[in-house]
Amino acid sequence: MAEQEAVDQDILDLREQFLNREFDEVTFEIDGARFAEYAKVCGETAPRFIDRNNPDFQAPPTYVSTLVGGRSMPPDFPNLGGMGMDAGKSVQWKAPVRDGATLTGRSHLHDIYTKTGRSGRMVFLVTRMELYDEAGTHVANADTRTVIRERIQR
Amino acid sequence: MSTVKTIADVEFGGELPSFKPDTSIDATRRFGKYVGWDSPRFTDHEGARKEGLPGAIVPGVMSQGFLGAMIHRWAPDAEIVAIDTIFRAPVLVDQPHSITGVVTDVDEDASTVEIDITVTNEAGETRVFGTATAKLPNG
Amino acid sequence: MILDLHTHSIKSDDGRAKVRNYCQWIRTRGIPIDGFVLTEHRQFDFDSDYSELARKHELVILKGAEVETEYGHVLVFGVTEGLYECFDFTRIGLRLEEVIEHCNAHNAIAAPCHPGRPRVGMSAHLEEHGVPKGVRIVEIHNGGSRADEDAVAAAMAEELGYLGIGGSDSHIVSHIGRCATEFPFPVHTEAELVEALRAEQFRAIPRAS
Repeated sequence: MAEQEAVDQDILDLREQFLNREFDEVTFEIDGARFAEYAKVCGETAPRFIDRNNPDFQAPPTYVSTLVGGRSMPPDFPNLGGMGMDAGKSVQWKAPVRDGATLTGRSHLHDIYTKTGRSGRMVFLVTRMELYDEAGTHVANADTRTVIRERIQR
Repeated sequence: MSTVKTIADVEFGGELPSFKPDTSIDATRRFGKYVGWDSPRFTDHEGARKEGLPGAIVPGVMSQGFLGAMIHRWAPDAEIVAIDTIFRAPVLVDQPHSITGVVTDVDEDASTVEIDITVTNEAGETRVFGTATAKLPNG
Repeated sequence: MILDLHTHSIKSDDGRAKVRNYCQWIRTRGIPIDGFVLTEHRQFDFDSDYSELARKHELVILKGAEVETEYGHVLVFGVTEGLYECFDFTRIGLRLEEVIEHCNAHNAIAAPCHPGRPRVGMSAHLEEHGVPKGVRIVEIHNGGSRADEDAVAAAMAEELGYLGIGGSDSHIVSHIGRCATEFPFPVHTEAELVEALRAEQFRAIPRAS
């Protein structure tokens, strides 16, 4: 048990050191042609997502999940020794994202937790990108859950 | 296809019309070309196998887009205020999948509904599931 | 009486279902179960009181836990404050045999769940760790199983002489009741559930095809 507690202490340390600390800021020029293609290939049929002439033309809410920051992890975040896999994505939508908008995405680690894996511990990292428009309006949060399968040290 | 316009049209337990997303290699290539995620694991079966996958897989962000599209097909005026997608297993390209959705909560005061959404393959296995909260116009 | 012995609510990190919505769903859709056990990941929820919801919907709502061991995930039924102090439910990599010993000492039951699943199921670890002592019941029908995972679980149970239970492993509302366990007599409390499991008179109900 002492060894296990020592192992999990590293997660507590990571949480202490990295949670809610902004590590990336990037700017996105929103292109209506691009998000309309995204909408079509995903099967959207509502004109406000696929028709540039629609007066309410806007990106589907899930589109912000496709926006990738300059880096996905803090530069000083330790290498956990396993391959990262995408475990899930979530979006909190707050306001429409329009063609031609300039969004600023600011990223931080929102959560770090663990589960058991067959060959070791699985560490889940939740990265949140908060997106703001030119006026500073918070338009969306885009979360990515990455799971890293560690290998047991023998 | 039956669509809903307002919160008054929605009943707890109601099913959204089933949706068969386009999981073809052409679709993932289009996605790769216009949106990103153009790695061979998404756009080329052979390239994906070289990475140890059974074949090309649909990008997670594209699966999430399918779920959003399904909700809008059911309720064209819905505003999806939150959507949470959990990737349980890869969605394989060129294999038929279907998406089902059901209403699991109705809040008439807030004019919102909660929806469970599940992507299954032909074997009936859940590959992706999630929940969404959508705001609908008042009746 | 039919209970879904394996469910998660928003109390679990990956659960997305509210308990009241589970109840509404069961009644609205006519799901053929009489109740369910909330087995939240790596914790026991001492605080929540679902008795009013249970009364309103005429359902049995019990609480258990899903803990993590070197053999994968394990359901624990009959959790008490005494048992909760014996080991740290939040830890991953607990020792299964120790969990079983503690459960036996506190009149609780530990049952490995989805044992046919890679990584988090018991069968995946037998070669490395051998057959653990003290296992009597395993989950042979799990609503989240893919491919042949339930078949692997059932084969393992038959080979090792284990009894089988069923649970949906639901994380979202609409998945509750996909698998369940039938008992020949009423079960209304966690203590009665343990008693019923110890009586070894139950039947795992698979997912309807």
